[in-house]
Amino acid sequence: MKGVINKIIEVSFIDGPGSRMAIFLQGCNLDCLYCHNPETKKYCRNCGACVEQCPAGALTNLDGKVTWDNAICQGCDRCLEVCPHSSTPKTTLWKAGDLVAYILENEVFLDGVTFSGGECTLQADFILEVSKKLKEKSNLTVFVDTNCFLEEEKFLNLCQNIDGVMADLKAFDPVLHRKLTGVPNELIFKNFKTASRLGVLFEVRTVLVPGLNDHPLEVKNIARFVADLNSYTLLKLIPFRNFGVKSYLKDVPSLPEEKFFELFEVATGILGSRVYGKYIK
Amino acid sequence: MNRVYEIITDTSLDYKDKRHLLAAEAENSLPYVKISEKAQNYFSEGILCDLFEGHAPYRPRYILPDYQKFLQKGSEYLNLKPPQDLFEAVNALLIIYRYVPSITGYPVYLGQVDELLEPFVLAAGEELSEKLLKMFLVQVDRVLPDGFVHMNIGPKDTRTGLLILKLERLLKHAVPNISLKYNEETPDSFAVEAVKTALEIGKPYFVNDRELKEDLDPVYGVASCYNTLLIGGGSFTLVRLNLKEAAKKAKDFQDFIQNVLPDAVLAQAEVINARAKFIVEEAKFFETSFLAKEGLITPDRFTSMAGYFGLYECIEHLTGLKLGKDKEALDYAEQVLKTAKDTLESIPGAYCYGTGGRIGFHAQSGIDSDIDVTPGVRIKYGEEPDIFTQIKTIGPLHKYFNTGISDIYIFDRTARENPEGVLKIIKGALKEGIRVFSFNTSDSEFIRITGYLVKRTDVLKYEKGEVLREDTVKLGAASIKNNNTEARKVRIIGEGSNQ
Repeated sequence: MKGVINKIIEVSFIDGPGSRMAIFLQGCNLDCLYCHNPETKKYCRNCGACVEQCPAGALTNLDGKVTWDNAICQGCDRCLEVCPHSSTPKTTLWKAGDLVAYILENEVFLDGVTFSGGECTLQADFILEVSKKLKEKSNLTVFVDTNCFLEEEKFLNLCQNIDGVMADLKAFDPVLHRKLTGVPNELIFKNFKTASRLGVLFEVRTVLVPGLNDHPLEVKNIARFVADLNSYTLLKLIPFRNFGVKSYLKDVPSLPEEKFFELFEVATGILGSRVYGKYIK
Repeated sequence: MNRVYEIITDTSLDYKDKRHLLAAEAENSLPYVKISEKAQNYFSEGILCDLFEGHAPYRPRYILPDYQKFLQKGSEYLNLKPPQDLFEAVNALLIIYRYVPSITGYPVYLGQVDELLEPFVLAAGEELSEKLLKMFLVQVDRVLPDGFVHMNIGPKDTRTGLLILKLERLLKHAVPNISLKYNEETPDSFAVEAVKTALEIGKPYFVNDRELKEDLDPVYGVASCYNTLLIGGGSFTLVRLNLKEAAKKAKDFQDFIQNVLPDAVLAQAEVINARAKFIVEEAKFFETSFLAKEGLITPDRFTSMAGYFGLYECIEHLTGLKLGKDKEALDYAEQVLKTAKDTLESIPGAYCYGTGGRIGFHAQSGIDSDIDVTPGVRIKYGEEPDIFTQIKTIGPLHKYFNTGISDIYIFDRTARENPEGVLKIIKGALKEGIRVFSFNTSDSEFIRITGYLVKRTDVLKYEKGEVLREDTVKLGAASIKNNNTEARKVRIIGEGSNQ
């Protein structure tokens, strides 16, 4: 089985506990207003709009298929800017076995791997195969960073075969959630409960967006929801920044520091030290 | 006498700088220790360099007194009895530091301070100990303002070690340099505190304790930049060989390995031995040092060091391959180092009793005036591959170096949120052979130059022409310009993809 990978970061300190390789899979099923990397949303349609724009000549159109030459790419990301389809020509196809071999080459430096995206669970079968092979050969843990918008059965199966879930909760209020992401949050809540019950819901993450979900009541509801789930899941609060955003939110300034700490206190009042997050200037 | 007048009237120097330079000028009024014409030529060609040690050395370059013995026995010369409490122990150490000779005039080794002070700290209690250790560290920073002044802690978890880490994070001093001897027995809780400290202030280094104990000596210390030497001994001299410049003399790689390199290494050894002999036989160092008389150093614990640098450019020049990018480059690198080491060990090292009668092998970290040549066996700044490849490329090269080598890794600020993750990488790096792992964050106020730290704010002050306490700031400012220090690759790419 092959996976479509947007990029691999050999070591990340912010994608779960310890030292982790972060593997970003291509494709997403939500359409978040504040998406910071819209190029991960869709698969390349081979429209070729990026080919002529590449200053390094790293992109070519071969028989209707856009191909990318990593060796000469300068990493300027001009192709991402001009893509009309929220995609990238720079994805790579990996066999599960090859990815496992690559991870194991660096096993000595790692506590585990984290699949992120895009929405990595769209390629749940690939994750399952990698996870299974990895666990046969090492003690590395497998985490997923997900929006939890996946059929319940598939999500259950995934949770039974990995070690941790870092779940995005974009909004508690269903209307707000639909406004922010384009989808309802009923299924997402169900999957949160599944992960929680299986003991793998490592953390819940919420980006606080000015004017949308930065209301104390919203944060209180999220914190209460997490508190009611179990006694172990962490809540990470992340202040919105407009870096990389393409929707109208690109003109919205970052969440003010005072506001962030006000909301942080609201969450701490309910969850105590299980809340964490940093205000980044 | 022009040069003497120049020094005296130089307004960028203060009193202590002038005194130091005037002493060097007096020493250099003598002819250079006797060396062959061939060796002299290597100096003029820029292949050999003695790092401004002076023409007629009268003290070893690096001395690591046995401070444990000093605290147990006191000192007749210093009129000090063995200390009975923390006050007396701190006082005794601060006194003896002023009496340890070196090239800079400041001691390059402060001892295994946590182990030395632990019994006194336990007796004195937490509050008093913290206060006294703070004064001790302030005193070291103010009175010994030199980035090469080096303190050791670990591998054991001690109250003193923890207090030192806590205070260092608070004080944010560039001095002293600190090394944590790390082995499997060092508890994670202590190591994580050290990681947190290094992510704030660029120190301590993590030192591969097990490997150095096996390869060098069970009782070793880390001095100056990252020089691993025997406690109760040290190194007479450090003469370095520029592999980049030497490579330019060779027809091809085979010529370099078979002829050019061995010839240069033998000339290097000749200079080193001449200098060591001068210190022992002419300057009669051991006969005039109270450290020797009182047994705090002994000749059988000394050695000399042969330093090597510019391996990256050497390989690039001779093979067109880039270390860290082309896999075959590593084989060539190993051949170079093996040849240099075998040649060096083919002849006796004068008075190198501490390392089996052979000169120590050292990866020299470069100096401020080096331009476009990479320290030691590191990968050129700005050309580093991903961190894992960097470690796996450089790790196998560290095993050759018994008297000092290090590699520097720069993490981005997200590392501060996850010191446990950083520790995992350090553990992996030590398993891959890295002997001294140095790291920092890209936004740190401290810059690790080659083996010492300077503060960004001090470099700015120096560039504005202010006279500063720390002599290493001048070296650092020049080095940053000449060696592209700021181009070091930052490890770990920004935020995760999904906010």
